[in-house]
Amino acid sequence: MNKHAGLFNKMPISIEQRESRLGWKLIAPSLGVIGLLIIYPILYNIYLSFFDVKLTGEKFFIGLANYEKLLQDTAFYGSVLTTIIFLIGTVVGSTLIGLLVALLMNLQFPFRNVARAIILLPYFAPIISVVFGWQFIFDPVNGIYNHVMVEVLHVTDQRHNLIGDPHTALLVVIIFDIWRHFPISCLLIISKLQSINRDQYEAAAIDGCGPLGRFFHVTLPEIYFVLGTLVILRLIWNINKFEDVFLLAPNVQTLPIFTYYAAFTGIIDQGFAATISVVQFLFLSFLIYFYVKKVLKW
Amino acid sequence: MKKIFIIAGIVIIVIAAILIYISKRPPEVVEIAFWTTETQSDRMKTIQLLMDTFQALNSDITVKLVPVDENDMPSQMAAASAAKNLPGLIEGSSELILAFGEEGIFDIKGATKMVKEIGKDRFYQGALKMVESPDPGNFYGLPYHGWVQGIWYRADWFDEAGLAPPNTWENILKAAKTFYKPEENQYGILIGTKAENYAEQCFTHFALSNGGAEFNSKGDLIFNSKEILETLEYYAELAKYNPPGPHTWRARDYYLQGKMAMFFYSTYIMDDLALAEVAAGSLTNENYSELKGSTFDPKLVDNTRIATTITKTRPGGYGSMVALGLVDQDNSAKNEAAQKLLSFLYEPSSYIIFLHMSPGGMNPMLRDIAGKPEYLNDPNGIFKRYGREKIEEITAGLDSMGSFTVVNGKTFPASGRIFAKQIIPRMIYKVTIDGMDPKDAIVWAEKQMKEVIGS
Repeated sequence: MNKHAGLFNKMPISIEQRESRLGWKLIAPSLGVIGLLIIYPILYNIYLSFFDVKLTGEKFFIGLANYEKLLQDTAFYGSVLTTIIFLIGTVVGSTLIGLLVALLMNLQFPFRNVARAIILLPYFAPIISVVFGWQFIFDPVNGIYNHVMVEVLHVTDQRHNLIGDPHTALLVVIIFDIWRHFPISCLLIISKLQSINRDQYEAAAIDGCGPLGRFFHVTLPEIYFVLGTLVILRLIWNINKFEDVFLLAPNVQTLPIFTYYAAFTGIIDQGFAATISVVQFLFLSFLIYFYVKKVLKW
Repeated sequence: MKKIFIIAGIVIIVIAAILIYISKRPPEVVEIAFWTTETQSDRMKTIQLLMDTFQALNSDITVKLVPVDENDMPSQMAAASAAKNLPGLIEGSSELILAFGEEGIFDIKGATKMVKEIGKDRFYQGALKMVESPDPGNFYGLPYHGWVQGIWYRADWFDEAGLAPPNTWENILKAAKTFYKPEENQYGILIGTKAENYAEQCFTHFALSNGGAEFNSKGDLIFNSKEILETLEYYAELAKYNPPGPHTWRARDYYLQGKMAMFFYSTYIMDDLALAEVAAGSLTNENYSELKGSTFDPKLVDNTRIATTITKTRPGGYGSMVALGLVDQDNSAKNEAAQKLLSFLYEPSSYIIFLHMSPGGMNPMLRDIAGKPEYLNDPNGIFKRYGREKIEEITAGLDSMGSFTVVNGKTFPASGRIFAKQIIPRMIYKVTIDGMDPKDAIVWAEKQMKEVIGS
């Protein structure tokens, strides 16, 4: 109250108050942009979820009908389960592999910089060409995977469509996502690894720690926050991940794919789409809250 | 002070330049957009050429050509509607045109006027019926081109095995079983099992041949019927002879590679089959040249035949029609410009140029065009390759093609909404890939359809 008293009376204002005002003025443009680009769409989305929106733009208030429709849909619960499996598989997988590769890339060896650049390729390659590449590999009739498995190694005498078969598609999508995104985990971990003081390793070695001991007592505590941040980022990215999953295997119904089929095939049901987005937003918020408070204990 | 004068001088000059530019611009150029579903680059080039010609003839109209994938059309239209940036003219399947018509985005008066101007009797009547609004004599759009679907098959393999052509349920299943040799990487048939429109197109062909329908002539939903159940059970059985996993039309490449005996496809495949270079371009395994069957067989056209009619309890034909829809842009000048463009697209020369983008695939919807020598003389010589007789056989199929949308001469646009929602493709996926019981799947589909109709 005191801080803003100067706004409403003619009393001379202190330097502190002036600075405070300047501070507000300086962040006002950012606040405006955030409000316009983030807060407004979220609020409008919540508002739309209570309406039946026609293609012509007309809106009819229908209360909680969209929410009832969503919660009565068994496919929705299936997609929540698929999303959880997808999240656990990809976040754990890409973080662990990223960590392993980062540890390896932190060692001294010839052409280390070249190797570092090469492992980043999956992340930088355009998604559409990468997806087609994977589809060619697993094509049931012409793909190299079936050719090797059936005709070269004779592991099985039946050709499988691993991407098409709903029992294996989720696994392929998880492996694909790990392969595509471990480089970014690796990159962030390496940058932290390089800042760890060598003295700490020497001290640990003097205290009798072997390689594993040094990893658990020096490396892990040092990169703990980077790992925590990585996991949060991957959770946020992957819960909203659409293109990787949809382009490779549209039969894997994670929440965004479910939303697409439920609301964006045929005549667009914007109200229902908004409802799913609100639920997805709440789900993500809960997941992050749980992770930050209970797992990371920040 | 001097600086202020200099800045003021510059500002005045800039404003004057802008004003001169604006005043010298040609007055009232109307800009409209044409959304086409012909997204391939070579087709875009041809259509752009037509648009350029139109603009040269109508200097007061600018046309922006926008390629839109058929599956994305509803979402793009919703976005354009929200942004008040609707196109003037769109090209889309009759189902899509009906679904949009139901939503009230079309200039129905304009379309009806254009049908009269072009000549109502010149159109194939079955096709025109497919875009008629529930108010008889009024039209949501105008039929532009259409294709007929059939089972394309290896006649040489059939002859060798002593099998009858695949024109009945029994013959098709028998042949699919005979040629299904997965150990040799050879498959019996391709029918759609992925949750995409292709699956519905294959399924509808069978359903029509068994008397299956979505609606009766009173407009009641009758999808949950004995005929549809029989069709779905048969379809699931037939799908066992597909290549492994869910598939859509792209798997037709296996046929071109000599690894499949039959596949459902429209007459669009004619140029791919006839021209070795086109076929080679559509193969997807050029990177694996060591795999068998990767070279194009130049005798494929001679060895390939098509069965357009399938019979179970009655002969069933299936085809699809692409129509042009005039979008109501809430601006009379723009609406008139779109009508002019539509009229231009029906002029014989521009119409034939458009249809020649895919000879056999894009068949004319005006009877008199089909008989014109210019039409039968396509630049790639495809029609000559197949012969006039075969071409006329195919175009004759346009009059008898059926769909779920028209029942006893009455149009049910709700069928378009069901199509757009991909309910039947998802039902097929559930049965053929997820292993759901056909009865349960039909109950599921019926529930979804009721929701779509009720909404």
